[in-house]
Amino acid sequence: MKSGVDLVGDIGEVLLTEAQIQARVAELGAQVSADYAGRRITLVSVLKGSLPFMADLMRAITIPVRIDLMEVSSYGGSTTESSGLVRILKDLSASIEGEDVVICEDIIDTGLTLNYLVRYLGGKKPASLRICTLLDKPARRLVEISVDYTGFTIPDQFVVGYGLDYDEHYRNLRFVGVLRPEVYASVG
Amino acid sequence: MTSGEHTSEGVAASQEPSAPAPFAHASEAEMARILDFYAVRWDYEPHTFPILWNLAGDVVESFTPDFYLPDLDVYLELTTLKQRLVRKKNRKLRRLRELYPSVRIKLYYARDFRALLLKYGKLALVESLTGTSGQVVPDRPSEDAGIDGLAAVAPTGVVPTAVVPVAAAAGPVGRPAPRAGRRRAPEATVT
Repeated sequence: MKSGVDLVGDIGEVLLTEAQIQARVAELGAQVSADYAGRRITLVSVLKGSLPFMADLMRAITIPVRIDLMEVSSYGGSTTESSGLVRILKDLSASIEGEDVVICEDIIDTGLTLNYLVRYLGGKKPASLRICTLLDKPARRLVEISVDYTGFTIPDQFVVGYGLDYDEHYRNLRFVGVLRPEVYASVG
Repeated sequence: MTSGEHTSEGVAASQEPSAPAPFAHASEAEMARILDFYAVRWDYEPHTFPILWNLAGDVVESFTPDFYLPDLDVYLELTTLKQRLVRKKNRKLRRLRELYPSVRIKLYYARDFRALLLKYGKLALVESLTGTSGQVVPDRPSEDAGIDGLAAVAPTGVVPTAVVPVAAAAGPVGRPAPRAGRRRAPEATVT
């Protein structure tokens, strides 16, 4: 199927190289390992964007790790227009009661999704709940969220790659790049 | 004003849950839908903050943020005007922050709102939801109605002399005037 997407050509600027990402993820893994030394943690990946990040982060962590996956509907998504309310598309596979949980996010901008998830997961009575994000875009924040581990604080630009998408494309780029405005400007 | 004065219970006193919020702009309605979607409670224009008084102590200018999010104790103001046209709103916001330093308020500019629509795949709606084309209530009471009155007592160029310190202004210090704000409490439950 032809997509019309120029995977690399649509990128105006590489914001974070693969090497930069891998180095920072290794640091985050070491930090998490030190903070939870002697314990076991559950990493919860928020699909789909955080999948590459969690895959790398879990391998950079040197303490016992469980992983689980969650997916919530996004505002404007075609599957949720009828309800008008966020929905859990995929819930956790196992209980997190009494567990030390670290939410893995690809990016935090408005904080709306994470605010919902923190409340939702907090209701499952974990022993602790922390947040680890690869990217933080504080300029867009609507809901203040306390982030425990941040890979990079980035400027207010629309980025794709390393899990982040635009219209479901570009997730498989190994770097994080700024999408050329003309790629989405034609839509508006 | 302290954040304690803005508990959700306090705001709830002015809620009118059965009536739909009369949004002044399509962008505000869209923002309300977004907040609803993520189960963030909001009140629409529940408070008016006086920001300028004349020598008689009358309020001549005020600022009414679009939303108050009671669970987060933060106000949200949307402006979808072009960046060069938001100088007046920026000035009012600076004044609000000077007079009410404990009030937490976020200003979402047109570029922020556009980015929000892009994020949610609704960029195609940007023209209909922003700027003058997004206005759905053409005639609203102006928050600057008193400015003309101010001009009567303070000629152009000496406006600062007419500004009454908060402590000398009528009404409780730092307390915004309540408005008949509308509240929406999303039905989504978080367990």
